[in-house]
Amino acid sequence: MKEKRAQDPNDPVLPAVEERELVYGGLEAGLGEVFEVPIGPIHPALKEPIRLTFKVRGERIVGVQVRTGFAHRGIEFMGMRQGRNLIQILYLSERICGICSISHPIAFTQAVERAAGIEVPPRAQYIRVIISELERIHSHLLWAGVAAHELGFDTLLHLTWRVREKVLDILEELTGNRINYAIPIFGGVRRDITPDQYPKVREALRYYRGLLNELLDAFLRDPTVEARTRGVGILEPKEAEELCAVGPTARASGLRKDVRQDRPYLAYPDFEVKAITPEDYGLTPMGDVYDKIVVRLLEVGQSIEIIEKALDNMPDGEITSFPKIPALLAHLKKAEGEGLGWHEAPRGEVIHYVRLVSGEESPLVWKVKAPTYSNLMSWYPMFEDQEVADIPIIAACIDPCICCMDRVYLVRDGKEEILTKEELLRLSWEKTRRMAR
Amino acid sequence: MIFKTLLSQALSRPATNKFPAKYMPRSILGFLAKVQEGKARIHPPVPVPPKFRGKLAYDREKCIGCQLCIRVCPAKVIEFLPEVKKIRIHVARCTFCAQCVDACPTNALSATPEFLLADTDRNSPNLIVE
Amino acid sequence: MSGWAIFGQAVLAVVGGGIVGLVFRGLDRKIAARMQARIGPPLRQPFLDLGKLLVKETVIPKTAVAWVFSAMPFLAVLASFTALLYLPLGPFRPILEGYGDAIVVLYLLAVPALAMALGGFASGSPLGVVGAQRELVMLMSYEFPLAVVLVAVAWRLSAQGIAPAFSLGTIAQNPLWPWVGPLGVIGLVVLLVTMLVVTPAELAKIPFDIPEAETEIAGGLMVEYSGTYLALFYLADVVRTLVMAGLVVAIFIPYGIAGVLGLSGAAAAAVDFLFWLFKLFVVMVVAVTTVRVGMARLKVDQVARGFWLWGTAASLAGLLLLALDKVVMG
Repeated sequence: MKEKRAQDPNDPVLPAVEERELVYGGLEAGLGEVFEVPIGPIHPALKEPIRLTFKVRGERIVGVQVRTGFAHRGIEFMGMRQGRNLIQILYLSERICGICSISHPIAFTQAVERAAGIEVPPRAQYIRVIISELERIHSHLLWAGVAAHELGFDTLLHLTWRVREKVLDILEELTGNRINYAIPIFGGVRRDITPDQYPKVREALRYYRGLLNELLDAFLRDPTVEARTRGVGILEPKEAEELCAVGPTARASGLRKDVRQDRPYLAYPDFEVKAITPEDYGLTPMGDVYDKIVVRLLEVGQSIEIIEKALDNMPDGEITSFPKIPALLAHLKKAEGEGLGWHEAPRGEVIHYVRLVSGEESPLVWKVKAPTYSNLMSWYPMFEDQEVADIPIIAACIDPCICCMDRVYLVRDGKEEILTKEELLRLSWEKTRRMAR
Repeated sequence: MIFKTLLSQALSRPATNKFPAKYMPRSILGFLAKVQEGKARIHPPVPVPPKFRGKLAYDREKCIGCQLCIRVCPAKVIEFLPEVKKIRIHVARCTFCAQCVDACPTNALSATPEFLLADTDRNSPNLIVE
Repeated sequence: MSGWAIFGQAVLAVVGGGIVGLVFRGLDRKIAARMQARIGPPLRQPFLDLGKLLVKETVIPKTAVAWVFSAMPFLAVLASFTALLYLPLGPFRPILEGYGDAIVVLYLLAVPALAMALGGFASGSPLGVVGAQRELVMLMSYEFPLAVVLVAVAWRLSAQGIAPAFSLGTIAQNPLWPWVGPLGVIGLVVLLVTMLVVTPAELAKIPFDIPEAETEIAGGLMVEYSGTYLALFYLADVVRTLVMAGLVVAIFIPYGIAGVLGLSGAAAAAVDFLFWLFKLFVVMVVAVTTVRVGMARLKVDQVARGFWLWGTAASLAGLLLLALDKVVMG
């Protein structure tokens, strides 16, 4: 995608209007005929723009075509060539995703810190872990509410979103805002968790610990929820592995795959995080939507445990190795090198790659891989042979974040283009050569 | 099943905060006028914590015109006034990261808990801090 | 009764039915909101909604079969209001008594659903088509248990030697409970439960709001309707809620309280009428409001299987128990 722009930065890149008129059957399309049902880019079941075109026979899905690119914002481009310095880009990275609004900054700061050789004090690492686990609680509760809404169970939506207020309040208390916490900075964090805030956090954790059973009960023992989610949208472990699914999507299929466990970072080695699968709830993983609910709700419990442990063992000391912003900016400008940062966001693994060059304020390359990008392909096996009624919940079960993922859109001569694998490989070789220069 | 929860919720008070009024008033401007006259009352929003990052406050006296805040601002909110070596903040663009507050060497900038900033004009005096 | 008297009463019932229906919808939304720990809309909200829809532009899509598309809302609203006229209104006999019986009510209840399905097919939208197909499947699955319930009660009445057994007025005047033995009571309870389960299906409310299914097919067969037409469907839905609740009340709980209070004349009629409204309200809260906030939406195949298997089985079991009871009681 960026290749096109690299060739000619002045070329206006506008999404091509799809000039295809779908012929819909009205009265003509009787029962049993295959016809197309377009879902999106605007649809009540989708919170973000994406186009899913289903081929449907009666209520059965016989084919699906996913088209992305409606929400391409060019954030990486803005970070690379628009004269922003790294501190400004940090807040840009925070806005890649509104829900995992600490996951991207954590991955980004790690990447930059590795590239620039900056140490993070242990206390700052702990604070980052606490905030990101609080975010996981809020994100999973949000997802649970959305899932309930897709099933038409609005009471559960209201219930989960009401209890989610508590964790948002705590985040607001600790960071100053309910979302877009703006807490990490290169070399540490911006705000300390003061001792008088500990009891408030602990109280919120107690609240959620007590509530978790009620939520598990409301979701997993409700006959209508079970009827709608058991055996729906199955992702076999083999498929999950082949399609590189990440996060709860993969874990619900029984893969013990979690960046916090496989490649611990920040303070995570201290907590010995184990990836959660439905087996931990005494179920055989089927990879269906029900299992995804199980995994996410259990992860809320896991996050509570991690935060409690972190609060108990919080090391003393500095919260940042660069208390003065001018010194930080000077260090970042001098830095040269490349770095990779990763984080287990609530939706799965986030990876940021940054390459810094000495004397430049903005990075030469900034590459983001959001979890939905990996999970999108798992839609294909999940939708196979399901019913129209299952579309919203299957679409929602990977917890898609379309805007985080939409960063590639190829337009050539005003027309949208689809690249083959070979072309993509060729482009990536060319890019590597350019960078090596 | 959820019916126990339903019953207990039906018998307790709703969780919704009634900001700014319980029901949508017939006319919003009329409601605001009534509030001005003291005939109606705005139900207050949920209070924010003390370290909330809201609208920026600017102490003109302390400012030394170093422009560090302008360098770190991700949204290009802050305008430099070269003739007086002071700054002007356009709150309508602000993303409320408060990075400028951290960067300011003389503590001339601070984040206030004020967050009800809706306005019809992005240049209204309410949204310009200088 | 003269034609003009019937006409006058019918106008009164239609206007009153519309108003009461909208108030009940307001109550339904308010109670649902309170169960979900929300404040909910003010009671007058359904009136505001209806008024707003009536002043909005009515769009007929280019792809639609225009005359079917525009005729169906009127058909739905006419059928719903007509069904109201066949219902015993508390202490009063049905207005159109003698011009048709309970079977007509069954048909009149099916007509709005059919009208909505045809409107969906005619709308030219694939979502509308999917919704219409679902509506038809639903109609085929829940109508049978409903019919069996009515037939069972009417048959038991005629076995008792009361005629005309298929008139809802007669059914409401002669509640079955005192005449049947224990087997019959069990049978009637089974039939009542069947009827209460059918009610949300008939009204297309969660867990049976499959033809509309906002998050799945964006409103399904309603997707292309707007303005006046949508208002008419809304009104039809509101009145149908009354009719279904009225049917349950007429068949199973037709009792008044005026006799207990020792009232007579106009006061008795007024008290009984208010009590009847209260019974409708209770039936609505139990069968519609509580169910729709306490469940997830089911899928059409699950509903069809459920009604064909369990609905049919339950209604036939009720019928069988009533028959056995007749044999036992003589």
